[in-house]
Amino acid sequence: MKAVTKSDRLKILLLIIILLFLPACAGRRTTYIDPNMDFGAVKSVAVMPFVGLTRDPVVAERVRDVFINKLLATGAVYVLPVGEVARGTARAEISNPSALSPEETIKLGGIIKVQAVIIGTVREYGEVRSGTVSSNVISLSLQMIETQTGKIVWTTASTRGGISIWDRLLGSGGKPMNKITERAVNDLISSLIK
Amino acid sequence: MISSAALLNKKISLFPPLQRGDERISRSRFFFGAASMLVVALLFLPVVAGGEEVGRDGPKANKGRNRIVVYPIENLTGAAAPIKEIRKMCIEKLKAHGVDVLEEELLEQLMAKYRVRYTGGINREIAKALKQDVDVEGILINSLEFYSDANPPKISLISRLVSTGEDPSILWMDGVGLAGDDSPGILDLGLIEDPNLLMDKALKTIMNSLMRYLSGGPEGRAGQSAKKKFNPKIFYRSPVLEFNRKYTVAIAPFFSISDRKYVGEIMGLHFARELKRTGNFNVIEPGIVRQVFLELRIVMEQGVSLANAELIFGMLNADLVVSGEVIDYEDYQGIWGKPKVSFSAQLIERRTREVMWSSHSYNEGDDGVFFFDRGRVNTASAMTSQMIQAIGRMMFEDSKRGQGVAGSRTRVK
Repeated sequence: MKAVTKSDRLKILLLIIILLFLPACAGRRTTYIDPNMDFGAVKSVAVMPFVGLTRDPVVAERVRDVFINKLLATGAVYVLPVGEVARGTARAEISNPSALSPEETIKLGGIIKVQAVIIGTVREYGEVRSGTVSSNVISLSLQMIETQTGKIVWTTASTRGGISIWDRLLGSGGKPMNKITERAVNDLISSLIK
Repeated sequence: MISSAALLNKKISLFPPLQRGDERISRSRFFFGAASMLVVALLFLPVVAGGEEVGRDGPKANKGRNRIVVYPIENLTGAAAPIKEIRKMCIEKLKAHGVDVLEEELLEQLMAKYRVRYTGGINREIAKALKQDVDVEGILINSLEFYSDANPPKISLISRLVSTGEDPSILWMDGVGLAGDDSPGILDLGLIEDPNLLMDKALKTIMNSLMRYLSGGPEGRAGQSAKKKFNPKIFYRSPVLEFNRKYTVAIAPFFSISDRKYVGEIMGLHFARELKRTGNFNVIEPGIVRQVFLELRIVMEQGVSLANAELIFGMLNADLVVSGEVIDYEDYQGIWGKPKVSFSAQLIERRTREVMWSSHSYNEGDDGVFFFDRGRVNTASAMTSQMIQAIGRMMFEDSKRGQGVAGSRTRVK
């Protein structure tokens, strides 16, 4: 039997190291797009009130407002005014507009005449601390539901901000909340619109 | 005893006439004197920086067209404020400018007769009554937005003059947001610590603007333009917006998620003032819009729905309805702090029933300030005013520079 040489040992060690670091190269797939969906047919959407999983009750409304303006500013789809969405929700007798069932989505689509509705969740928003360092962070996810079938056709998520190496070194306190909210919303929209 | 002639001679002897050889000394003495004066003037220049030029007398109103009534001041501060004193000072200043102000007793009788409780606006019925019963030309409506007597004091006030008669309209509108430390200058010589002095300055500014209007001069501070840092951060402009058209606009109260009271009304007043100043909008008196909301029993849950907008268009014959959401509207008291304003605005158009303009703006008082507080804004009112000015300007800018307009390269994947 052939003895294991020093060079072989080195190769094995190198292989182990590569295998250990390989998961780091994997793409973070946070977006799902229904391959059968014709997004070109979506001309207008309704953005429902977001769910906020944070302590501050108005955070969800802040993020929703930024998202609506950003989506409208792309010029790709028309976003219904929030007052009209609230009226449609009341008329469709939807008790929880942030979590729609397929039937409710279809009913709402018929009332406010939109091709899709978007629901979202703000998972994290505000300051995070690690030792003496602090920074701002936002984490949110979205779902688009087609109003014809009540099916989810697009889901995506984004996290921005947090404590970076520069924050640790310089203690800068991170970027302003408004800026990172815009970036996170940009991430979400760019996963659907080029 | 030394005679005056002797004194004169003595003086002359102190500064003997210069000889030809002394010409260089004379020139250098002159330049030294001039340079000293210039340095002193430059040192004291910051003291007067930022101050509005308020003449002692100010422009006088034209006679025969200005019998007005000064409504009790609407307190939007959310706290106790010296509104009676402010109104008294306001009336005194108007009288000093030669304006005929309706007597207090008459106003009280009229308010009792028509059961006027709301003083932040005027509806058609009251406007007609004021014209018929007491023959006044206009109603001066003042809304106190912010008042703090903590050192340095701060005051924000919005005023408008509304015509009386069958169809009341906003004739003039202006506002002021001042802080005692707006222009402290060298050694804090320009610092205003007395709230009454600041109040006087604020009222002088407002009254001078009103007198300029009444005397037929240019209205308000129309030439002042907002800095680029106050531009909306996200905006959408519909291609249906016509650049050469004057729109009639109804401003709905803004939906507020901020902690401060009456922010929705304050934002509406700022929009009324700044949109009117652009010259592209004919702004409907907010009191009339409020009356329509009450008559139609419109309850806005999160904003104006299309059904509500349709009713408003019909009742007020408006082309646009402005609505929006105020996220932050923060002033601060004392020395430490900065104002913070964040809001979004939408304009819904009558013909297409679509959003014609949508924007999201946010700013803080120290945005873009790096050295010696230069460019710092101390009141939310002054900052909001500039933020809305920027919206008004961008709305009618060259369409090619817009974001999200027709022809933009965005497409769905």
